[in-house]
Parts: sequence; structure tokens; C-alpha cells
Amino acid sequence: MAIVYEFVWQVLHVLLHIHRTLITWFRIRLRNWNGRLWSRALTALIVPMALSFPNQKNIVPAPGKRVDRRYRWGADGKSLEKLPDHIGLLIAEEEPRYTDIANLVVWCMAVGISYVSVYDNYGVFRRDNSRLMDEILKQQQELLDLEGSKQLCVEFLNNGTDKQDQQVLSCQSVLKVLSPDDGKLRIVQAAQQLCRAVEQRDKTSKDINVTVLDSLLRESKSTPDPDLVLKFGPVESTLGFLPWHIRLTEFILTRLFKTLL
Amino acid sequence: MAEWSKIPPNVFSEKGSVPLSLQVEVLKGVSEFFNMSWIREGELNLIEKLSANILKAGPMPKHVAFIMDGNRRYARKRHVERQEGHTQGFDKLAETLRWCLNLSIHEVTVYAFSIENFKRSKDEVDGLMELAKQKFIRLLQEQENLEKHGVCIRVLGDLTLLPLDLQQHIARAVVATRTHNKCFLNVCFAYTSRHEIANAVREMAWGVEQGLIKSSDVSEALLGHCLYSSNSPNPDLLIRTSGEVRLSDFLLWQTSHSCLVFQSVLWPEYSFWNLCDAILQYQLNHRPLQKARDQHREEQALQQHEADRACVADLLQHHGNGKPLDAQRRQEALLNYTASREERVQDFLGALQHKRDSFLTDLTSQAALA
Repeated sequence: MAIVYEFVWQVLHVLLHIHRTLITWFRIRLRNWNGRLWSRALTALIVPMALSFPNQKNIVPAPGKRVDRRYRWGADGKSLEKLPDHIGLLIAEEEPRYTDIANLVVWCMAVGISYVSVYDNYGVFRRDNSRLMDEILKQQQELLDLEGSKQLCVEFLNNGTDKQDQQVLSCQSVLKVLSPDDGKLRIVQAAQQLCRAVEQRDKTSKDINVTVLDSLLRESKSTPDPDLVLKFGPVESTLGFLPWHIRLTEFILTRLFKTLL
Repeated sequence: MAEWSKIPPNVFSEKGSVPLSLQVEVLKGVSEFFNMSWIREGELNLIEKLSANILKAGPMPKHVAFIMDGNRRYARKRHVERQEGHTQGFDKLAETLRWCLNLSIHEVTVYAFSIENFKRSKDEVDGLMELAKQKFIRLLQEQENLEKHGVCIRVLGDLTLLPLDLQQHIARAVVATRTHNKCFLNVCFAYTSRHEIANAVREMAWGVEQGLIKSSDVSEALLGHCLYSSNSPNPDLLIRTSGEVRLSDFLLWQTSHSCLVFQSVLWPEYSFWNLCDAILQYQLNHRPLQKARDQHREEQALQQHEADRACVADLLQHHGNGKPLDAQRRQEALLNYTASREERVQDFLGALQHKRDSFLTDLTSQAALA
């Protein structure tokens, strides 16, 4: 009997995989066939939902004059009721698509989102962020026709320091590149710091509370917790993304990048 | 029903807090679960049984966490009193726990009361505390059933924030079921994840103060062992109903590599098929999640190894006689250091468990004397 159940289970999972593959293929085919119209339609569904609006505004990056696009995106951003202060992009894909990610980052900043974080659970972006940065600067120029990033400013916060606090103030948008080390490992490091203080009798264990820990884990006082995290990739999990900071974060878990862009 | 009238009808949910009404029905559900006929096996109908057996052919979650949400929306949708929504909600909890047992899921964690909810009015909070007390008393009356089915109840949270009499009842329930090991129900009460993490750090600092561990012994694994949930494995699956897509300060550390399933169904309308759907999602994500978890564990081990090496190098520098040691002696020193660190940590965890057990036992003896 167990063998029968196992067989049925295998069949069920094969059917599910086929179903998923067909849906993916179908979406991509439709998009390519009538690219502009379908991508607008799809994004008009997903992104307003992501930004929690009741009205479904069309805020898709569409081909057109680059200057027009910049003003249109900016205007779109202003016309929306509420923008998240901090968006996180959680890339759970095996092979991240740099161009697509860069597109999304540039779009977020053009719409007026102050903080954008990019995270992958292998720490690839953190270890080698030059490729991502180059791609972002390239997309900024291509999509928004900005020479030397006059209007938008991209700052890289890898580790919070006072110097970076000053740089942040002069920028319109801030990009943070994160890895799993910024999650649990940061909390452990903060714990070690507090325990060392206790060892040296600078503190007692009773002095440790949520506020103390929170102040240690905040990169800078002005950086808000992520309001919204968009997850791209086949895994339905946060994969270690900033456990301390995501207490009230809304999650949009999508499997496919291509349908969004 | 008289108890409900104590709670004002305009209880609203703030972002980040579990609705008061939800907690009420959770507590009711917890006790109803044990009064209910979940004891009757074979409650699943034929089709459900078949589906359960098919699902069980694949990997099954061993520990599922629920954020049950949507009772008031359900009540509005059905144009009934909010009380009716809660009543349906707690019936649903009892039913879901039974389905979990039928699916061989032996550990369930539910979110009952958030620390954020203490900010509500005194009347509301007092009303809830009174209700919780009555439910735990009722639970204790079912002790025989609990023993028969090997149910272990744990309450996770900062119990010192609760009224003393409630603490005592909770302590009695937990101590009475401590040795049971067939299935585990974790109720998060006076809980938020941030408080849990801060408390774990405080406990480690206590260990340092007591001279049981050094600050260099602090690691991700040790922090995990100091959480309220230290006796449970991390949840494999986290389910939130009613379409909300937030974690609301629930098990943030423990669910970093769990399968997250957000379902739009309202909690009182939750069905066996919704649960199967969630488990199916878990099965589809099982391999990549396992891979991510293994990779994380490997990195953790590497970091620990590096930390040990750094400590040994430091020690040798300070206590050595200046002559560089050969590779073999260094390796020996490293092994010795790791062994002594592990022993220190075990002793510390033993002391911590003893402290927690004593806290509960003291409460029960206070209750007995009273």
C-alpha cells in the first residue's frame, strides 16, 4: 500500500512541476508576443499590490524617450498615495540576473524610494559588488539619461560607520548591499560586544534589553526597517534576510523575475 | 459568553500586534482541543485519509507554526457578531491540531498573546488575563487525557510580565506535562521575537557574569540554545492566514530558513485542504530549503572554527614563551580549546535550564501553598 501512495505522490509532484513550467512558459510567451501591453498589464497587477495601493496605477517602465521616462516615473511616484521608505530585494535565484536587478533598483529610486536593499543568500553581491554597481550605473544612464548620476545618488553601505552617515544625508536614495552576514551574524556580533562589556564590568546583564540591542543593530539612526521585501526565486523563504529588522515587513514572494520587468 | 462582555467590542488590531480577540480564541481553542474528541482516531473521511497518506509519502514538516488571523473579517463577512467569529476560530484551532496529528505533525507552535498587546486598555488586558487563567485551570483538569496522549505543553514568552496567579497556573500546566514526549504544543504568550532574542543575549551575559562562559564563546548556535524555544527544532513551515503577509514579530530567528506560506483564507474557514496545500508548498520547497540550511550550517561551522583558531592564537601569544609552536602542537591546542569550550557551554546550558526549571517549580510550590 505504501508503494502505491509513493507512486501517486511522485505522479502528483511531476504534474505540479509540469504545471509550473507551463505557466512560466505561457507568461513569457505572452509577454514577448505583446511585450508592452502584457508587461504593463502584469506589472500593473503586481507592483501596485506590492506597494499596497487600492488604485491600480500603471507604473511600468516602458520604452520611450529616456527623459520622458524619468519624469513619468517621478510623477508616478508622486501620484501614489504612499511609498515604502525602504524596499528590500531578496534574490533567491541560483544565477542572479544583474541587468534585471539593476533595472529594478533604478526604477525604485526614480519612483522616489529612499532606501533600497539588495540581498542574496550566497553573499555574492556583497563579495563582489562592483559588477552590480557597474550594471546599475549603466542602467541609470540608459534608462534615465543621467550623466555622472547628477540627480540620483547611489551610496553603498556595507558596514555602518559615521562617515557613511554623512554621505547618506547628501543623497536622494541609498542602496545597501546585504548578505546573510548582516542577519544572524550581526546579531551574534552585537551579543559578543555586550558580553565583552559585561566581562569588563562596564555593563550588567540586567542592562541588556530590546532597545540596547536595537541601537547596536541599526546601521545608522536614520535607516528605517524594510517596509516591503520582494523575493525573486523558487524558494518560499526569507533565507536569513535581516531577521531582526523584518518584524513588520510585508513580503511579496514571486517566483519569476521576468514577469515583473 | 459572560466573559466576552468584559472585553469592549471596539478592539482593533494594530499593525504588528496579534488581535486581542484572536488571542482569546486561541486560548479557548487550546483548552477545547484537550476537551474535544481529537482522541477519537480516524476522524478524517476516506478522501482526506487517502490524501494524507499520499502526502506522507513525501517529506513532511515535523514542526509547523501558525499565525491564525481573520476572525473579525470572517464575522463581518458572515454578518455575525464578532463573538461568533471567535467561536468558529477556536473550533478551527482544535480541528487543525487534530489534522496535524493525523498527518504525523507532532509539534505545533501558535501565537497567542503579543507583548505589544499590553499597551491596550487595562480593562481589556485584565479581561484577557482572567480568561487565560480559566483556560489553563481547565487544561489542568484534563491532566489524565494529556498524560494518555503524551501531550507536552510549553509556554514561550516573558512570563514575569503576567499576573502572578496566571503565572502559577501556566507553571503547573507546563511542569505537569514536562515529561510527555509524544506531541508538543507551544503557546507563545507575552511573546515577541525581539524580546526573545534580547532575553537570549541577556542570559548569555548572565553566564559571563557567573563565570560559566566567556564572551568569546558567544555564537549563533549558543544564542539559539538560549531562546525560549530551545527545546524545539526550528519550524519547518510557517503558515499565516487571512492574506496578511507579515511576520508580526513571531519566531523571526527560528524561521529564517522555514517555508513561508501565506494563505488568503480566513482562519475560521481553514480547511484540511488548505493545510494540505501548505504542506504541498513545503514539499515543493523542501530540497532547495534543505540545501540552503545545510549551506548555512557549514558556514556556521566554519565561522566557529575560525573563531576557535583566533582564540587559540591569542592564548598562545599571551601565555606562550615566545617560541613558535609546530603545526602538530597548534592542532593539539586547538582541539583542547574546542573541547573545553564545548564543556563550558554544556555546563552553562545546564545551569540555564536549571534556572528556568526552578522558576517554574517555585511558582508551582507557591501555588500549592496558596
